[in-house]
Amino acid sequence: MSTLNFAAISQADIDAARKRHPKAFGDPLVTTLKAASWAFVVVYLAWSLGFFEIGKLLNNADRAVQLLSRMVVWQDMATWQYANIYKGIAQTIAMAFVGTMLGTLFALGLAFLAARNTMPVGVIRHAVRRLLDVFRGIDQIVWGLVFVRAVGLGPLAGVLAIWISDMGNLAKLYSEAIENIDRKQVEGVRATGADTGRIIRYGYLPQILPVFISLSLYSFESSTRSATILGLVGAGGIGMIIIERFRAGLFDQVAFVVLNVLVVIAIIDWGSGLIRKRFIGERGH
Amino acid sequence: MLEFKGLTKQFRDNVAVKPATLTIPDGQMVGIIGRSGAGKSTLLRMINRLNEPSGGQMLFDGRDITALKGRDLRQWRNECAMVFQQFNLVGRLDVLTNVMSGRLFHHGFVTSMAGMFSAKERAFAIRALDRLGMAHTALQQTDTLSGGQMQRVAIARALVQEPRIMLADEPIASLDPLNAKVVMDALRAINQEDGLTVICNLHTLDTARQYCDRVIGMQDGVIVFDGTAKELTDKAAREIYGAEAEEAFSEAMTSTSLRPGDKPAAEAPRVVN
Amino acid sequence: MADMSQTPGGQDPVALFERHRAQLIRDRMTANLLLLALFIGFLAWSIWIADFMPDRLASGVPRIFEYFGSVMPSFDTDVLFDGRNAEGKFPPGSIGFWYNDFWKYITLIWETILMALTATLLGTGLAVVLSFLAARNTTPAGWVGTIARRFLEFCRGVPEILFALVLVFWVGIGPLAGVLAITIHAAGALGKLFSEVVENASMRPVDGMKAVGGSWFEQMRYGILPQVLPNFTSYALWRFEINVRASAVVGFVGAGGIGTELSHTISFYSDDRVTAVLLLVVLLVTAIDLLSERARHSLIGKEALK
Repeated sequence: MSTLNFAAISQADIDAARKRHPKAFGDPLVTTLKAASWAFVVVYLAWSLGFFEIGKLLNNADRAVQLLSRMVVWQDMATWQYANIYKGIAQTIAMAFVGTMLGTLFALGLAFLAARNTMPVGVIRHAVRRLLDVFRGIDQIVWGLVFVRAVGLGPLAGVLAIWISDMGNLAKLYSEAIENIDRKQVEGVRATGADTGRIIRYGYLPQILPVFISLSLYSFESSTRSATILGLVGAGGIGMIIIERFRAGLFDQVAFVVLNVLVVIAIIDWGSGLIRKRFIGERGH
Repeated sequence: MLEFKGLTKQFRDNVAVKPATLTIPDGQMVGIIGRSGAGKSTLLRMINRLNEPSGGQMLFDGRDITALKGRDLRQWRNECAMVFQQFNLVGRLDVLTNVMSGRLFHHGFVTSMAGMFSAKERAFAIRALDRLGMAHTALQQTDTLSGGQMQRVAIARALVQEPRIMLADEPIASLDPLNAKVVMDALRAINQEDGLTVICNLHTLDTARQYCDRVIGMQDGVIVFDGTAKELTDKAAREIYGAEAEEAFSEAMTSTSLRPGDKPAAEAPRVVN
Repeated sequence: MADMSQTPGGQDPVALFERHRAQLIRDRMTANLLLLALFIGFLAWSIWIADFMPDRLASGVPRIFEYFGSVMPSFDTDVLFDGRNAEGKFPPGSIGFWYNDFWKYITLIWETILMALTATLLGTGLAVVLSFLAARNTTPAGWVGTIARRFLEFCRGVPEILFALVLVFWVGIGPLAGVLAITIHAAGALGKLFSEVVENASMRPVDGMKAVGGSWFEQMRYGILPQVLPNFTSYALWRFEINVRASAVVGFVGAGGIGTELSHTISFYSDDRVTAVLLLVVLLVTAIDLLSERARHSLIGKEALK
């Protein structure tokens, strides 16, 4: 004999419960709104996929099969010009490193101009910040294309593209780090009668240097990733080899190159993780 | 009737439960006692197969529980509700939804994924909450409740499953004495009024003595005592608890010195019907 | 008290300290010098490989200034706000002349936003499913988890523009390739983040749902999802920002959006049209960033109030 019996719940019981706890039976407005927003998402997705002509995916299924099968079956591996591939990968890493170094150098200067506590003149600070917004707002690959137009095909355009976007990102992050420093330490140095240069050297640098190094290291990692595609617009590195061979229909080689790139990026992430542990971790700020 | 036939559980290098053979008739209130690590929890969690037995058999009304799979297993879990030490409610959902989730087994895929519950289910859940004196919290977010309140919500969730057996894994170990009494009284009421079998892991001796028809003592994975509460002498208890005996006895003094059916506590459960 | 300054070994403590200090400094100097040498060596190698040579710079840098000079709009204050003249054309030097193709750009920017939105919704949906399969605590079977994790790694390892390149070959030029490419990459990136959130969720509610007889789907829907939903939403909004940027560039390989126009303009013209379209892209990206940041903050604010 159970005192709670689901089957025995009658309409009268429901009505009684509804009377005492009306809200427990769902606010019709909330329920409708919820249903409507889900319906909106579904309708939007259906409409937008129609708008983007999702049907093409199935119409050209034979091309996909052809593409995938040619990516998986590797032919004439002796003729793949491996030296070229690995030179491209090396060039990508080199571009990322030089670009990040340049970006770091310039960002160091710009960051102090963009931080509230080191740049009291509002006009300059805002002008620098808006400039940084433009550097960051335009994607690295767009900068790549712009510099290819300006200085011609090749890795120089790639380095410049990495430099300009890293400069924008790093300067913003650096300036935030500068704004977040502990003021008491700076005042301590100032109290010794130090000049501006010494205040920066002994008051600011010890606090922000580890943060800066860590940020630049992250920046190098992400630049290596993005540098792999800069070549698609002719800005040097492995991307140029990928797009050349893709256009020539050598899909098996493209698959091979992409696999290699993935492995190299994994190695770089691992290595930079080690460096970070060694340095930033041990200095422990 | 629940029967264990040589049920064992082995973790990698140690045996948590050595072959256990037991028969629990319907409508009994059973307390399993023993010190921490004695295998109480493992034994209990094997009943609804949250822990897989490594050997032996378990029968319920002649049905082999150890062999159940897929939907049959879920149906069995639905038939034997469980209350946990840490309540295991979904903190970010409201109380009512937590209670109604006890009906999920009866739902199809779509209604359960969409979180659609019928008016009948809502009324039923409110009735279950009401029985534990918790209906006023139905629309609160669950993690705003106190521990004692959460445990009563958990019992309400177990009740809407309309279970055949109620398992309770240390239901009062995280509660203060007053709430512990409220929860134990509720379990006892369910046992007596609904005729449900209640199997309850308890750390404290006194609680087991006061509330349970039958006490099972475990030590290092072996059932060392099986008898009525009266048969559980202090000497027998000391053997079960070993080094932890003093702790178990002294906790008994503080945690449940209130006897069942003494004067009702402020938030004592109301019994509907 | 002279012997107080003598250590048991009979040495002067000041001298001992100085010797230790000198040793420490020497050790650190050697390590630092070694690292510096490594760093300089790597930098030199990079400069050589990247062909970042002074002669290249000397010829290149002036051309940068020349190019940026040529793409800047030239305004004539007399006709700055003039409309179309008798022949239906804007006079050179007016804003109308600079933004002659304004409505074309706006249409493409609209398409770009739609691409990002669709890709974010699809990618988030995929990521939710994959993250539950990939997370170690919720995966229905070990091998399913391994496959899901490898798949997510692949999806986020390959840049969206490479997926776009391949998909353009498959479905043809147009925004569909872009949407699919961004979806795949976003699913990979979000799936990784989501699965980390799931791995940090409490498993107690899952045990509770298991005990009421809930299926794997019900355990996830009721046990995990309520815990992780706020984080999921915030990550998805943040991903939308990134996807807007991505959908603005997948057009470089013909996958739709403003990128196609951007690439065409930059590649074939070196006049004020370049800055016109670039400025719109910057405005788009900044506006979306601001909106999404505000949405995320109000989301977090709402959470904090609870």
